[in-house]
Amino acid sequence: MTSLLLTTERLILRKPDARDTEAAIAFMTSERARHVGGPLDERQAWRAHAKMVGHWVLRGFGLFSVVDKATDRTVGISGAYYPIDWPEKELGWHIWDPACEGKGIAYEAALAARRWAYEDLGWTTAVSYIAPENDRSIALAKRLGATLDEDADRPGHSPCLVYRHPAPEALS
Amino acid sequence: MIDVTLITERLLLRLPTAQDWPAYRDFYASDATRFTGGPYTPKQAWSLFAADRGHWDLKGFGWFMLDDGSGAVGACGLHHPPHQAEIEIGWNTFPAAQGKGYATEAATAALDWGWTIIDAPGIVSYIDRNNVASKAVARKLGASWTGEMAAHDPDCEIWAHERPA
Repeated sequence: MTSLLLTTERLILRKPDARDTEAAIAFMTSERARHVGGPLDERQAWRAHAKMVGHWVLRGFGLFSVVDKATDRTVGISGAYYPIDWPEKELGWHIWDPACEGKGIAYEAALAARRWAYEDLGWTTAVSYIAPENDRSIALAKRLGATLDEDADRPGHSPCLVYRHPAPEALS
Repeated sequence: MIDVTLITERLLLRLPTAQDWPAYRDFYASDATRFTGGPYTPKQAWSLFAADRGHWDLKGFGWFMLDDGSGAVGACGLHHPPHQAEIEIGWNTFPAAQGKGYATEAATAALDWGWTIIDAPGIVSYIDRNNVASKAVARKLGASWTGEMAAHDPDCEIWAHERPA
């Protein structure tokens, strides 16, 4: 578990740690975080990052830091997310670095994370909770083959959309 | 991954695990957390719990759970989120285990350990001005009020612990 690493053509997915703190806070305090509960102040942003790190210990899985092999920079997070108030396990992603948009980076990371969730964690289904106005994320969910699940429970009173991913057997 | 265990006469201080969640949640839902921003909903408490655990991996130190053999009875440790000027030692004892001196016993051990791993000249405790019980623990630990209030929270007094000679 400690050495868990996923690699794709352009990316390394590894557990988040102190190397990511600065970039995580920069993202969560920016306007780019408006679809994912932000922008936060610095205090809240640090706590949010610490929560992502602690999630791995409490759940045994979590969101990976997505590292661009070419630059060795953390450009976002992608992976499995299941805090206490989530109705079911989620595949989530945030792209922190705007320069990485439009290059299929989020897609590449999410594909690897989903394969890991299905093959290594044994998930039989997965959803992504997406703010209705988050067009980029909705487009990514669709590209991943996920479809709107109108009947699924949502976290709390959130107005988010629930996209359900194809089951593992539908992908093999 | 970091792991630390401290043993005192009556307590085991160990890193939080998923098994501690119900006790943590119940404590943070109670009025006993009124001096530290509570009570908290389960959603808020889980975020704090996960962040407390994540602190260990980000900083190399953090809050221990206190275990007296019956399970988690409180928490204590060092933390230093960026909005706080100095490294803080904090403590709490869950209601069922209060009045036994657990906080003082645990904080003494955590402080001894803290001085060995932290270079800072001092460690502080930020304590709400009305939190009489916590100030009593600070006094037993040998700390004293600096006369100043915390920049991040004007209701909190800054109590200073001196590094042993």
